[in-house]
Amino acid sequence: MAEYELDCMGEACPVPLMKAEKKLKDLKSGDVLIVHIDHSCAMKNVPEWARTQGHNVEVDEVDDGEWDVIIEKA
Amino acid sequence: MSETASAPVRRSIPRTTKKKKRRNQLPIALIVLAVMIAAGILLSIFKSPTVGMFLMFGGCFGFVLQKSRFCFTASLRDPCITGSTSLTKAVLIAFALTSIGFTAIKYSAFASGQTIPGMSYVQPVSLATVVGGVMFGIGMVIAGGCASGTLMRVGEGFHMQVLALVFFIIGSLWGAHDMGWWNLNVIADSPRIFLPDVFGWMGAIVIQLLIIGCLYIAADLWERKKMGIKDEE
Repeated sequence: MAEYELDCMGEACPVPLMKAEKKLKDLKSGDVLIVHIDHSCAMKNVPEWARTQGHNVEVDEVDDGEWDVIIEKA
Repeated sequence: MSETASAPVRRSIPRTTKKKKRRNQLPIALIVLAVMIAAGILLSIFKSPTVGMFLMFGGCFGFVLQKSRFCFTASLRDPCITGSTSLTKAVLIAFALTSIGFTAIKYSAFASGQTIPGMSYVQPVSLATVVGGVMFGIGMVIAGGCASGTLMRVGEGFHMQVLALVFFIIGSLWGAHDMGWWNLNVIADSPRIFLPDVFGWMGAIVIQLLIIGCLYIAADLWERKKMGIKDEE
Protein backbone atom coordinates (compact mmCIF):
# COMPACT_ATOMS: atom_id res chain seq x y z
CA MET A 1 0.00 0.00 0.00
CA ALA A 2 1.96 2.91 -1.28
CA GLU A 3 1.07 6.53 -1.55
CA TYR A 4 1.64 8.39 -4.78
CA GLU A 5 1.33 12.03 -5.57
CA LEU A 6 0.38 13.63 -8.82
CA ASP A 7 1.06 17.29 -9.33
CA CYS A 8 -1.54 18.85 -11.60
CA MET A 9 -1.19 22.44 -10.46
CA GLY A 10 -1.99 24.87 -13.22
CA GLU A 11 -3.41 22.22 -15.53
CA ALA A 12 -6.79 22.94 -17.05
CA CYS A 13 -9.77 20.74 -16.92
CA PRO A 14 -9.40 17.48 -18.77
CA VAL A 15 -5.66 17.11 -18.09
CA PRO A 16 -5.78 16.24 -14.35
CA LEU A 17 -8.50 13.71 -15.01
CA MET A 18 -6.61 12.00 -17.81
CA LYS A 19 -3.35 11.98 -15.85
CA ALA A 20 -5.12 10.51 -12.83
CA GLU A 21 -6.77 7.91 -15.02
CA LYS A 22 -3.42 6.90 -16.50
CA LYS A 23 -1.60 6.88 -13.20
CA LEU A 24 -4.29 4.93 -11.40
CA LYS A 25 -3.98 2.09 -13.91
CA ASP A 26 -0.44 1.37 -12.68
CA LEU A 27 -1.43 1.36 -9.04
CA LYS A 28 -2.22 -1.74 -7.04
CA SER A 29 -5.43 -2.20 -5.15
CA GLY A 30 -5.28 -0.34 -1.86
CA ASP A 31 -2.72 2.17 -3.06
CA VAL A 32 -3.48 5.82 -2.52
CA LEU A 33 -3.13 8.51 -5.14
CA ILE A 34 -3.15 12.14 -4.15
CA VAL A 35 -3.85 14.52 -6.99
CA HIS A 36 -3.01 18.17 -6.41
CA ILE A 37 -5.23 20.44 -8.46
CA ASP A 38 -6.09 24.11 -8.64
CA HIS A 39 -8.69 24.01 -11.38
CA SER A 40 -12.19 24.12 -10.01
CA CYS A 41 -13.61 22.02 -12.81
CA ALA A 42 -11.22 19.13 -12.08
CA MET A 43 -12.29 19.34 -8.47
CA LYS A 44 -15.66 18.12 -9.65
CA ASN A 45 -14.97 15.68 -12.44
CA VAL A 46 -11.98 13.82 -10.98
CA PRO A 47 -13.84 12.72 -7.81
CA GLU A 48 -16.98 12.00 -9.82
CA TRP A 49 -15.13 9.80 -12.26
CA ALA A 50 -13.19 7.99 -9.51
CA ARG A 51 -16.35 7.30 -7.51
CA THR A 52 -18.10 5.74 -10.47
CA GLN A 53 -15.07 3.50 -10.86
CA GLY A 54 -15.68 2.30 -7.32
CA HIS A 55 -12.70 3.93 -5.62
CA ASN A 56 -12.79 5.68 -2.28
CA VAL A 57 -12.43 9.40 -2.79
CA GLU A 58 -11.92 12.34 -0.52
CA VAL A 59 -11.50 15.97 -1.49
CA ASP A 60 -9.56 18.28 0.75
CA GLU A 61 -9.34 22.02 0.14
CA VAL A 62 -5.79 22.73 1.24
CA ASP A 63 -5.83 26.39 0.34
CA ASP A 64 -8.09 28.88 -1.39
CA GLY A 65 -8.65 27.34 -4.79
CA GLU A 66 -6.26 24.44 -4.24
CA TRP A 67 -7.48 20.95 -3.64
CA ASP A 68 -6.10 17.51 -2.93
CA VAL A 69 -8.13 14.68 -4.34
CA ILE A 70 -7.28 11.55 -2.40
CA ILE A 71 -8.15 8.39 -4.26
CA GLU A 72 -7.79 4.96 -2.71
CA LYS A 73 -7.81 2.38 -5.46
CA ALA A 74 -10.47 -0.23 -4.97
CA MET B 1 6.31 16.22 -4.72
CA SER B 2 7.31 12.60 -4.95
CA GLU B 3 7.32 11.22 -1.42
CA THR B 4 6.29 7.67 -2.01
CA ALA B 5 6.08 6.68 1.62
CA SER B 6 5.31 3.01 1.91
CA ALA B 7 3.52 3.34 5.22
CA PRO B 8 -0.05 2.12 5.02
CA VAL B 9 -2.28 5.10 4.43
CA ARG B 10 -5.93 4.84 5.18
CA ARG B 11 -8.03 7.49 3.63
CA SER B 12 -9.98 8.19 6.79
CA ILE B 13 -6.87 9.03 8.80
CA PRO B 14 -6.52 12.79 8.98
CA ARG B 15 -3.51 13.73 6.95
CA THR B 16 -0.70 15.53 8.66
CA THR B 17 0.09 18.04 5.94
CA LYS B 18 0.19 21.43 7.53
CA LYS B 19 -2.76 23.51 6.55
CA LYS B 20 -2.06 27.07 5.71
CA LYS B 21 -4.26 29.40 7.61
CA ARG B 22 -6.69 30.72 5.08
CA ARG B 23 -7.56 34.34 4.82
CA ASN B 24 -11.17 35.20 5.41
CA GLN B 25 -12.47 36.40 2.06
CA LEU B 26 -15.85 37.56 3.30
CA PRO B 27 -14.88 41.25 3.71
CA ILE B 28 -13.61 41.33 0.10
CA ALA B 29 -16.83 39.70 -1.08
CA LEU B 30 -18.91 42.29 0.75
CA ILE B 31 -16.85 45.14 -0.69
CA VAL B 32 -17.24 43.74 -4.23
CA LEU B 33 -20.97 43.32 -3.69
CA ALA B 34 -21.25 46.91 -2.44
CA VAL B 35 -19.29 48.19 -5.45
CA MET B 36 -21.50 46.18 -7.81
CA ILE B 37 -24.68 47.53 -6.23
CA ALA B 38 -23.30 51.09 -6.37
CA ALA B 39 -22.26 50.63 -10.00
CA GLY B 40 -25.69 49.21 -10.81
CA ILE B 41 -27.46 52.18 -9.23
CA LEU B 42 -25.15 54.69 -10.95
CA LEU B 43 -25.60 52.97 -14.32
CA SER B 44 -29.36 52.97 -13.89
CA ILE B 45 -29.38 56.69 -13.15
CA PHE B 46 -26.82 57.94 -15.66
CA LYS B 47 -27.03 55.39 -18.44
CA SER B 48 -30.27 53.46 -18.52
CA PRO B 49 -32.06 51.08 -16.17
CA THR B 50 -31.52 48.25 -18.66
CA VAL B 51 -27.75 48.44 -18.27
CA GLY B 52 -28.13 48.26 -14.50
CA MET B 53 -30.31 45.21 -14.91
CA PHE B 54 -27.73 43.59 -17.21
CA LEU B 55 -25.13 44.01 -14.48
CA MET B 56 -27.45 42.46 -11.91
CA PHE B 57 -28.25 39.46 -14.11
CA GLY B 58 -24.59 39.07 -15.03
CA GLY B 59 -23.59 39.02 -11.38
CA CYS B 60 -26.25 36.47 -10.48
CA PHE B 61 -25.37 34.30 -13.45
CA GLY B 62 -21.69 34.32 -12.54
CA PHE B 63 -22.48 33.41 -8.95
CA VAL B 64 -24.66 30.47 -9.96
CA LEU B 65 -22.12 29.35 -12.55
CA GLN B 66 -19.27 29.31 -10.05
CA LYS B 67 -21.19 27.72 -7.19
CA SER B 68 -22.78 25.03 -9.31
CA ARG B 69 -19.54 24.23 -11.18
CA PHE B 70 -21.64 24.30 -14.29
CA CYS B 71 -19.48 23.87 -17.36
CA PHE B 72 -20.72 23.74 -20.92
CA THR B 73 -17.36 22.44 -22.08
CA ALA B 74 -17.45 19.52 -19.68
CA SER B 75 -21.02 18.75 -20.66
CA LEU B 76 -19.83 17.88 -24.16
CA ARG B 77 -16.31 16.67 -23.37
CA ASP B 78 -16.82 14.37 -20.40
CA PRO B 79 -19.08 11.93 -22.25
CA CYS B 80 -16.16 11.32 -24.59
CA ILE B 81 -13.46 11.10 -21.92
CA THR B 82 -15.07 9.35 -18.99
CA GLY B 83 -18.62 8.67 -20.10
CA SER B 84 -20.02 10.86 -17.36
CA THR B 85 -23.07 12.71 -18.60
CA SER B 86 -24.31 14.39 -15.43
CA LEU B 87 -23.45 17.84 -16.82
CA THR B 88 -24.81 16.93 -20.24
CA LYS B 89 -28.13 16.14 -18.63
CA ALA B 90 -27.99 19.38 -16.63
CA VAL B 91 -27.47 21.36 -19.84
CA LEU B 92 -30.32 19.52 -21.55
CA ILE B 93 -32.63 20.34 -18.65
CA ALA B 94 -31.54 23.97 -18.88
CA PHE B 95 -32.29 23.94 -22.63
CA ALA B 96 -35.73 22.48 -21.99
CA LEU B 97 -36.54 25.11 -19.36
CA THR B 98 -35.32 28.01 -21.51
CA SER B 99 -37.23 26.64 -24.51
CA ILE B 100 -40.44 26.78 -22.51
CA GLY B 101 -39.57 30.23 -21.17
CA PHE B 102 -38.69 31.71 -24.54
CA THR B 103 -41.76 30.19 -26.16
CA ALA B 104 -43.90 31.76 -23.44
CA ILE B 105 -42.32 35.19 -23.97
CA LYS B 106 -42.49 35.02 -27.76
CA TYR B 107 -45.95 33.54 -27.91
CA SER B 108 -47.41 36.10 -25.54
CA ALA B 109 -45.99 38.86 -27.74
CA PHE B 110 -47.29 37.11 -30.88
CA ALA B 111 -50.75 36.52 -29.39
CA SER B 112 -51.18 40.13 -28.35
CA GLY B 113 -50.09 41.32 -31.80
CA GLN B 114 -46.82 42.93 -30.71
CA THR B 115 -43.54 42.40 -32.50
CA ILE B 116 -41.93 39.21 -31.26
CA PRO B 117 -38.81 40.07 -29.21
CA GLY B 118 -35.44 38.61 -30.08
CA MET B 119 -36.25 37.66 -33.67
CA SER B 120 -32.95 39.13 -34.89
CA TYR B 121 -31.27 36.19 -33.15
CA VAL B 122 -32.88 33.73 -35.51
CA GLN B 123 -29.71 33.37 -37.54
CA PRO B 124 -29.23 31.66 -40.90
CA VAL B 125 -28.43 27.97 -40.63
CA SER B 126 -25.82 26.61 -42.99
CA LEU B 127 -22.64 24.60 -43.16
CA ALA B 128 -20.93 27.62 -41.59
CA THR B 129 -22.83 26.87 -38.38
CA VAL B 130 -21.43 23.35 -38.30
CA VAL B 131 -17.87 24.42 -39.15
CA GLY B 132 -17.99 27.19 -36.55
CA GLY B 133 -19.35 24.81 -33.94
CA VAL B 134 -16.57 22.29 -34.51
CA MET B 135 -13.91 25.02 -34.37
CA PHE B 136 -15.39 26.46 -31.18
CA GLY B 137 -15.56 22.97 -29.68
CA ILE B 138 -11.89 22.25 -30.37
CA GLY B 139 -10.92 25.64 -28.98
CA MET B 140 -12.91 25.34 -25.80
CA VAL B 141 -11.53 21.93 -24.93
CA ILE B 142 -7.95 23.14 -25.40
CA ALA B 143 -8.59 26.36 -23.47
CA GLY B 144 -10.36 24.42 -20.72
CA GLY B 145 -13.57 26.37 -20.86
CA CYS B 146 -16.12 28.06 -23.06
CA ALA B 147 -16.75 31.79 -22.85
CA SER B 148 -18.60 31.82 -19.55
CA GLY B 149 -16.42 29.11 -18.02
CA THR B 150 -13.23 30.96 -18.92
CA LEU B 151 -14.53 34.19 -17.42
CA MET B 152 -15.58 32.38 -14.26
CA ARG B 153 -12.19 30.73 -13.76
CA VAL B 154 -10.32 33.94 -14.41
CA GLY B 155 -12.36 35.30 -11.54
CA GLU B 156 -11.34 32.32 -9.44
CA GLY B 157 -7.72 33.17 -10.12
CA PHE B 158 -6.70 30.45 -12.54
CA HIS B 159 -3.73 31.96 -14.34
CA MET B 160 -3.62 29.88 -17.49
CA GLN B 161 -7.08 30.97 -18.48
CA VAL B 162 -6.17 34.64 -18.26
CA LEU B 163 -4.17 33.80 -21.37
CA ALA B 164 -7.22 32.08 -22.85
CA LEU B 165 -9.27 35.18 -22.07
CA VAL B 166 -6.78 37.49 -23.79
CA PHE B 167 -6.92 35.45 -27.00
CA PHE B 168 -10.65 35.03 -26.63
CA ILE B 169 -10.97 38.81 -26.71
CA ILE B 170 -8.55 39.12 -29.65
CA GLY B 171 -10.48 36.44 -31.52
CA SER B 172 -13.82 38.04 -30.78
CA LEU B 173 -12.64 41.45 -31.97
CA TRP B 174 -11.15 39.96 -35.11
CA GLY B 175 -14.34 38.02 -35.70
CA ALA B 176 -16.47 41.12 -35.21
CA HIS B 177 -14.21 43.03 -37.60
CA ASP B 178 -14.59 40.49 -40.41
CA MET B 179 -18.15 39.47 -39.65
CA GLY B 180 -19.57 41.79 -42.29
CA TRP B 181 -17.66 40.04 -45.07
CA TRP B 182 -18.57 36.54 -43.91
CA ASN B 183 -22.16 37.58 -43.47
CA LEU B 184 -22.37 39.01 -46.96
CA ASN B 185 -20.52 36.24 -48.79
CA VAL B 186 -21.14 33.06 -46.86
CA ILE B 187 -23.92 33.27 -44.32
CA ALA B 188 -26.67 35.59 -45.52
CA ASP B 189 -28.03 33.41 -48.35
CA SER B 190 -28.84 30.53 -46.03
CA PRO B 191 -32.36 30.11 -44.71
CA ARG B 192 -33.42 31.48 -41.36
CA ILE B 193 -35.51 28.82 -39.70
CA PHE B 194 -37.86 29.80 -36.92
CA LEU B 195 -39.50 26.58 -35.76
CA PRO B 196 -42.95 28.05 -34.94
CA ASP B 197 -43.20 29.19 -38.58
CA VAL B 198 -42.66 25.61 -39.70
CA PHE B 199 -44.53 23.53 -37.16
CA GLY B 200 -46.78 26.07 -35.47
CA TRP B 201 -46.25 27.24 -31.91
CA MET B 202 -47.46 24.09 -30.19
CA GLY B 203 -45.71 21.80 -32.65
CA ALA B 204 -42.42 23.66 -32.29
CA ILE B 205 -42.28 23.39 -28.52
CA VAL B 206 -43.44 19.76 -28.51
CA ILE B 207 -40.88 18.75 -31.15
CA GLN B 208 -38.10 20.64 -29.40
CA LEU B 209 -38.91 19.05 -26.04
CA LEU B 210 -39.17 15.62 -27.65
CA ILE B 211 -35.70 16.01 -29.19
CA ILE B 212 -34.27 17.17 -25.86
CA GLY B 213 -36.01 14.25 -24.14
CA CYS B 214 -34.49 11.78 -26.60
CA LEU B 215 -31.04 13.31 -26.09
CA TYR B 216 -31.52 13.04 -22.33
CA ILE B 217 -32.38 9.36 -22.58
CA ALA B 218 -29.44 8.82 -24.94
CA ALA B 219 -27.10 10.59 -22.49
CA ASP B 220 -28.36 8.44 -19.64
CA LEU B 221 -27.91 5.22 -21.61
CA TRP B 222 -24.46 6.34 -22.75
CA GLU B 223 -23.36 6.90 -19.15
CA ARG B 224 -24.65 3.50 -18.04
CA LYS B 225 -22.96 1.79 -20.97
CA LYS B 226 -19.61 3.55 -20.70
CA MET B 227 -19.33 3.39 -16.96
CA GLY B 228 -20.91 -0.03 -16.62
CA ILE B 229 -18.28 -1.59 -18.88
CA LYS B 230 -15.50 0.03 -16.93
CA ASP B 231 -16.83 -1.36 -13.66
CA GLU B 232 -16.30 -4.90 -14.86
CA GLU B 233 -12.65 -4.44 -15.72
